[in-house]
Amino acid sequence: MMSDQHIIAGCLRHNRKAQQMLWKQYSGYLLGVCMRYATDRPEAEDMLQEAFLRIYFNLGEYSGTGSFRGWLRRVTVNTAITYYHRNLRHKHHADIDEYVSTETGTAGFEEDFCTAEDLYRVLGELSPGYRMVFNLYTIEGYKHHEIAEMLGIDVNTSKSQYSRARAILRKKLEELARLKGKYT
Amino acid sequence: MTEEERDNGLESLFRSELEDNELVAGSDLTGRIMRRLERREFFRFNLTRFNIWYVTAAAAGLIAGGMLLLSSPGSGAGSFAPRQDLPEKVAVLTDANAENKVTQTVETDSAAVTDNRALIAAEEAVTAPVETPLHREAIIAPRSTAVEGIAVARTGEEMMSVAGPMVMAAIEPSVTSGCVPLNVRFRSNAGEGLTASWNFGDGGTSAVVNPDYIYDIPGTYRVTLEITDGRRRTSTAAVTIVVRDNPRAAFEIQQNESYGEGDMVLFMNLSEGAVHYLWDFGDGTFSTLDNPSYRYKREGRYDVKLLSYSADGCADSVTVNDIFTDRGLYLRFPNAFVPSRAGPTGGYYNQRTDEESQVFHPVASGVISYNLKIYSKAGMLVFECDDIAMGWDGYYKGELCSSGVYVWKVRATYRNGQSIIMAGDVTLINY
Repeated sequence: MMSDQHIIAGCLRHNRKAQQMLWKQYSGYLLGVCMRYATDRPEAEDMLQEAFLRIYFNLGEYSGTGSFRGWLRRVTVNTAITYYHRNLRHKHHADIDEYVSTETGTAGFEEDFCTAEDLYRVLGELSPGYRMVFNLYTIEGYKHHEIAEMLGIDVNTSKSQYSRARAILRKKLEELARLKGKYT
Repeated sequence: MTEEERDNGLESLFRSELEDNELVAGSDLTGRIMRRLERREFFRFNLTRFNIWYVTAAAAGLIAGGMLLLSSPGSGAGSFAPRQDLPEKVAVLTDANAENKVTQTVETDSAAVTDNRALIAAEEAVTAPVETPLHREAIIAPRSTAVEGIAVARTGEEMMSVAGPMVMAAIEPSVTSGCVPLNVRFRSNAGEGLTASWNFGDGGTSAVVNPDYIYDIPGTYRVTLEITDGRRRTSTAAVTIVVRDNPRAAFEIQQNESYGEGDMVLFMNLSEGAVHYLWDFGDGTFSTLDNPSYRYKREGRYDVKLLSYSADGCADSVTVNDIFTDRGLYLRFPNAFVPSRAGPTGGYYNQRTDEESQVFHPVASGVISYNLKIYSKAGMLVFECDDIAMGWDGYYKGELCSSGVYVWKVRATYRNGQSIIMAGDVTLINY
């Protein structure tokens, strides 16, 4: 087990072992991040590859003060944003599911109903724009005006996409909970 | 959107489950791809930042420096201007001289012959006893490098009396580096009683004055030219030709199954020795990513082309024609049908009896589970079934539906486990 400092120093010297350690220690975590931004696993892996290369070649930019994990995550999220922009034109179709009315339920969700896998799946079924906004707002904790800037959209678009994303997710999870209730 | 909604159950569920969730990055497949990619990336990086190219550049610099040192001290190698048709090649010639031992070496002035020095040399020559080759050669320098009237005037007479200077070999290649196969057009200053003998560094030779030569193996070749004049005096020159290897373009599509409409196709780049890529997806769309993924808007025949470029601009390409060759799995829907006016048919069809397209149904292969829903424009579910052998006959509760556009959505699973969701519209024609 190498410390972050060792890994970083090693990677900067192009040390193969340090590079492998970097991958070994953080790929799982970063894949988890990518998975939230991707339609499916292969896309997440694609994203992870880009993110990892970007991390590796920009390690010198890590100031060494903040959390390394946080820096890695930020680079990965930025990669996801770049990826989103780049693939935007291929993805402008929206699923028919997304034309549902945006009612907002009040019921809370019991956590044991949904596994992480389920959540990744429902996220993956969102259209990329909704998914970006939902992730950046809910999990990354950015404000709508920041998101609007990052994605190059209007603040109100960010807000409305967020609320529609929530409504869709809620509906899907409710459906999932019903199905699980039926079969278990 | 207010801040307190962040504490809603939905958000906290996603945050608690996913924020720090770790997945196993399939050490086998992903890891291998990743590492290979990285390694290639590193190698690439080294090429441009550290290793081979810099070493080469440093070596080239050293050689150049060495040559300068050799040729600049006062009593350095002889410097003859070439014949007057190549006056701008003086420097090249000096280098060649410094490097190759000139037979019939004549010690004269330094490489960079300035007019002053040339003049001095010329004056010395004039004052010295006539017949030594040293002086005879020295006289030539001012005549050819400069258009100093005085020098020419003083030496012109003497020029007539001797057989002429030895011409120093000079090579002028059309290119000094390039991608394999590299065609180089060599020009020499041989001719008029001078014979040329070329050695192209890879075993090839030629006696042609200005040969064309094709290198088809990458490498660094030292090309030498020896010219001999009528008095059997020889002079050699050398030039280095670098023939670069081309990258090799190759790619695969990640899954070898058939793709449904709208599926993300992942292209895995298996090129070697390349750093830049250009993908042509065959539908007018391009990408410069290393490993792009792409969603085709519709099914069809797509010829995908990959161009791979190495760091020094050599290229290779590969085209895969009709990448979706696996036609074993498909599901396709028509966009219009004409229901029977004779009453509901029940929707069971077969290709032979439904020649008039009375039932809306897909053509499919390899589908193991299936669910079709059809909605009217108003959003009313007018038809649903789980049986792929049954289509919609255009009736709802015994009544023929009105003409117009209906929206369908299907969820299906192919026998390879791939699940697909498709949606589209169909026009019901009722006339």
